[in-house]
Amino acid sequence: MNILLFLIPLSLLLIGIAAWIFVWAVRHGQFEDLDTPALDVLRDEPPDPPTPVEATDRDDAG
Amino acid sequence: MDAPAACHHCGEALPQSPARADIDGASRAFCCEGCAAAARWIRDAHLDDYYRLRSAPAGRVDADAPSLAVWDREDLLAGHARTVDGGREITVLTDGMRCAACAWLVDRALAREPGVLESSANAVTGRIRIAWDPARTPLSKPLARLAALGYRPYLATGEARERARRAERNRALLRIGLAGLGAMQAMMFAEALYLDTAGEMPLPTRDFFRWITFLVSTPVVFWAGWPFLAGAWNELRGRRPGMDTLVAGSSLLAWAASTWETLRGGVHVWYDAAVMFVFLLLVARQLEQRARGIASAQVDALARARPAFATRELADGSRESVPIDALAIGDVVRVAVGEPVPADGVLLEAEAHFEESLLTGESAPVPRHAGDPVYAGTACREHAARLRITQVGAGTRLAELARLVERAQAHRPALAIGAERIATWFVACLAIAAIAVYAWWRVHEPARAFEVLLALLVVSCPCALSLAVPAALAAAHGALARIGVLSVRPEALERLARATDVVFDKTGTLGDGKPRLERIEACHGIAEADALRIAAALERDSSHPLAAAFADVTDAPTADGVRAVAGRGVEGFVAGRRWRIGTAAFATGGEDDGAVWLCARDDCHAVGIGAAGADRGRGPARARFVFAERERADAAGAVRQLRAQGLALHLSSGDADAPVRRFASAMGIEAAHARQSPEGKLALVRGLQRDGKVVAMVGDGLNDAPVLAGADVSLAIGDGAALAQRAADLVLSGSSLGAVPAAMVIARRTRRIVRQNLAWAFGYNLLALPLAAAGLVTPWLAALGMALSSLAVTANSLRLAKPAPRERMPR
Repeated sequence: MNILLFLIPLSLLLIGIAAWIFVWAVRHGQFEDLDTPALDVLRDEPPDPPTPVEATDRDDAG
Repeated sequence: MDAPAACHHCGEALPQSPARADIDGASRAFCCEGCAAAARWIRDAHLDDYYRLRSAPAGRVDADAPSLAVWDREDLLAGHARTVDGGREITVLTDGMRCAACAWLVDRALAREPGVLESSANAVTGRIRIAWDPARTPLSKPLARLAALGYRPYLATGEARERARRAERNRALLRIGLAGLGAMQAMMFAEALYLDTAGEMPLPTRDFFRWITFLVSTPVVFWAGWPFLAGAWNELRGRRPGMDTLVAGSSLLAWAASTWETLRGGVHVWYDAAVMFVFLLLVARQLEQRARGIASAQVDALARARPAFATRELADGSRESVPIDALAIGDVVRVAVGEPVPADGVLLEAEAHFEESLLTGESAPVPRHAGDPVYAGTACREHAARLRITQVGAGTRLAELARLVERAQAHRPALAIGAERIATWFVACLAIAAIAVYAWWRVHEPARAFEVLLALLVVSCPCALSLAVPAALAAAHGALARIGVLSVRPEALERLARATDVVFDKTGTLGDGKPRLERIEACHGIAEADALRIAAALERDSSHPLAAAFADVTDAPTADGVRAVAGRGVEGFVAGRRWRIGTAAFATGGEDDGAVWLCARDDCHAVGIGAAGADRGRGPARARFVFAERERADAAGAVRQLRAQGLALHLSSGDADAPVRRFASAMGIEAAHARQSPEGKLALVRGLQRDGKVVAMVGDGLNDAPVLAGADVSLAIGDGAALAQRAADLVLSGSSLGAVPAAMVIARRTRRIVRQNLAWAFGYNLLALPLAAAGLVTPWLAALGMALSSLAVTANSLRLAKPAPRERMPR
């Protein structure tokens, strides 16, 4: 049963790592928005996103 | 997704000559230039996937967005933006985000703005965080982009509170996550101990496992469970032991007993029970708080704080923009169209129109003449106005109503919360029983005294009791959210279940605030149907509220040369004849009688007419349209269901006697009160409460806010005034009144399930206590009983999350 003396501290180490990753994720806002990222994968990025030319569409609106 | 007759962007009905734009290779129609411009920009930015991803139509885009220049003022930014790496960051609220695709679009659109460093939009809370570089762009530029897409920015409550809100949420998440990890690990170690059924494990190995479990569970009990410990400490200091005392007591008891057993090498440890309990309670509490958090975030978003600036006119006629706080009595201010009035004042213009929906819930603009009082918070319509300020800040009618709300909330009749009382009582009984049992065993069999005491405490651990209420509430809030009811305050459900009387407001609550054509009086050679068609043609593109009443006329001819005269009516040509529709004065030259007149102008100099109440002026009145408020589609059904649920119904309105009586009889409500001021409504509710009734109030306007706050439980309509929603316990997110009886059903089911839970928890304790006192309960039996009773309570509560088998049937 001596193997336990190695395995149990190892499991504690793993849970420590898991906890650290979780803390990191929360601190870095990974849980802030749980809805939008789901949509990102549905869309292919266009080759190069051009910025639209017009600056104020208040003008065409008037 | 879009019917051919609806705007491609916002889904609203199309006007006669819609704006058009090529989207996705096809020409699409739009309701207005604002929507078309937004769609064109989305196409040019290659973001047109938005139209495929969205699950709800966008909001209508106003072509004439208000000036956003105030957002660049340093005195505004100082309080709301904070400095980040390379620039500043601000959180703004918006009311247009309806689904996740909106948040996606906002993120992408802002990323394309030069000078924007980072942005994140959250559709659930309606908040957008923007970090920008002030050296490269003023804040108003990206905000103007948002406004042009239909997301108008409003001020959030301030950077400090926003940050506190996020920090709070993150801390709660951390506690749950770490409690979950710790609980799983502790369970694994505990399993090893449980599986040693024959007691063959060598003692050092067993103690090694116990100490490891101790190591893992201690932070869970003390760090993750800290909210319970702190709450218990507060309750004990206030000498009112309640739910937190029970929770903290249970987890500390299981933990301390286990530690003690570990130290002295006893038979059993209960670390797993302690950590599971903390974890489950944290989850239940967080679910409930999250549901309420979303509700209040949305109400918050609806509060629509704007950058508060007013335009002051100086003595020499020039204008300056000043913060509202800087206004003084006697100042002259200008209010642009669509802007809110900054403070109470008197009108200096000859005539102006103000929408007072914030104060009265009525959406139709009210005409005011020179010298009339105008109130802060009302919005100026149709043309700009000048006012002389008479009251500022706390002296305004708006502030007075807000104070009335606060006072009414403070004076709510106290309904002692059942579970708290039970908790107090339970703690006292348990303490007495434990001391008595220990004393008895100490005298008769000192060797077993401690073991029996421990078993007694563990087996009667009030886990099930303390889970009974939070678990049921968490499930119930989920069910409420599904029917579109947001619960803002924690005790709302319990109060709703006890309600005996329901008081309804009329305008905007039972009615939808929109006019309905009640009758047409046609005279002088025109058929009623023709009059209606001509009126519909003229009013088709009008933004006037009354125009909506003609919207369902489908065979209207085309009107040319339509010209709207603000506050009076519309003129135009239909089939070659010139027509006027509007007030009697405008259309016929007669006296205003509240109805709308339609008149052909080519023969205006013909004979006068003899219709009752009409003039003998310049022209023959062709038709007179009388409007009444339309009932909400499901109002009658909701009222019927509420009556079937055994509730007494009342109608209380600020409106005149006749329409109130008409509404009451149409709905089948006997008790109708007309011409009620906000104070009068509150007095009505107070009177009912004095008779021992528990009153639920359903309202929408700010004039309802005091009575919403004063009633035992209150429901605000989602499309009503923001301040009314702040005063309410529950907000109906849709405009359907059918949610009211449905919420009532859920509230009553919740109460029933809480009672079942409490009965079960009590029954279990009553059964287990004597057995444990008699020394018949072994430690493992105690652990099993504790786990099973908690599970039974949780499973029972989860029944609430499923729709009721007999949702329609009360009881």
